[in-house]
Amino acid sequence: MERPLSPFMFPKWYRFQLTSLLSILHRLTGIALALGSILLAWWLVAVAAGGQVFAATHAFITSPIGVLLLFGWSVAFFYHLCSGIRHLAWDAGYGFEIRNAYRSGYAVLAATVVLTVLAWLYVLLA
Amino acid sequence: MAQTRPLSNATALRDESVLRRVRHLGSARAGLQEWRLQRRTALALIPLGLYFVASMLRFATSDQMTAAAWLASPVPALLTILFVLAALAHAVVGLRSVLVDYVHTPAALVAASLLVRGAAVLLAAASVLAVLKLFLGR
Repeated sequence: MERPLSPFMFPKWYRFQLTSLLSILHRLTGIALALGSILLAWWLVAVAAGGQVFAATHAFITSPIGVLLLFGWSVAFFYHLCSGIRHLAWDAGYGFEIRNAYRSGYAVLAATVVLTVLAWLYVLLA
Repeated sequence: MAQTRPLSNATALRDESVLRRVRHLGSARAGLQEWRLQRRTALALIPLGLYFVASMLRFATSDQMTAAAWLASPVPALLTILFVLAALAHAVVGLRSVLVDYVHTPAALVAASLLVRGAAVLLAAASVLAVLKLFLGR
């Protein structure tokens, strides 16, 4: 028998569950946010440098790809924030019951949607 | 069990010979500092992240004068530096835990970890220098 090798347990060995999906999403959004720190540092340097460097950076950020990246990072940030608070609660010993793990999971997803919508409503209206 | 030894010699936590046998199988007995750093930066990043992202909703696409004026003022400069440092420290621990799961040869793991740490130091230094230039030059 081919032995299952963690962490490659999907989709053959583990049934899909909300809890494991959220766990994987926490990692993926964390990686995405870490990559985003490159653009963040680049933007800070560009503001400090000014001139041509800032013009090129500004053109990239306001391009369709730039706005799409900003939107993606905003979703990743709000998800990682809410999911991270859920993880901190677990670290403190709260919310381990399966029913509560599912409730907090759905709460994280709902909070992510609400925060993302509020943030972009602010951007569009301001 | 006729022979009884003092507890200090019989427990796995204190007996070096037992540690030697469980090496690579059990806990490395290291990593608590990284675990703490991950949680402490996570706590710090709740207010710092909310502040910085809320600010970026206003300034990410603004012109250079507006963005520079914002970064040159004391509170945004301070909180931006703290956010960048906490975020990169948090990212280094997080990315390393991902690498440990997916990179299975020791040499590649060392190389990937060094790359992540080096990139984080570079990004942190560049960000801090940029903010300091704006703050000190105002």
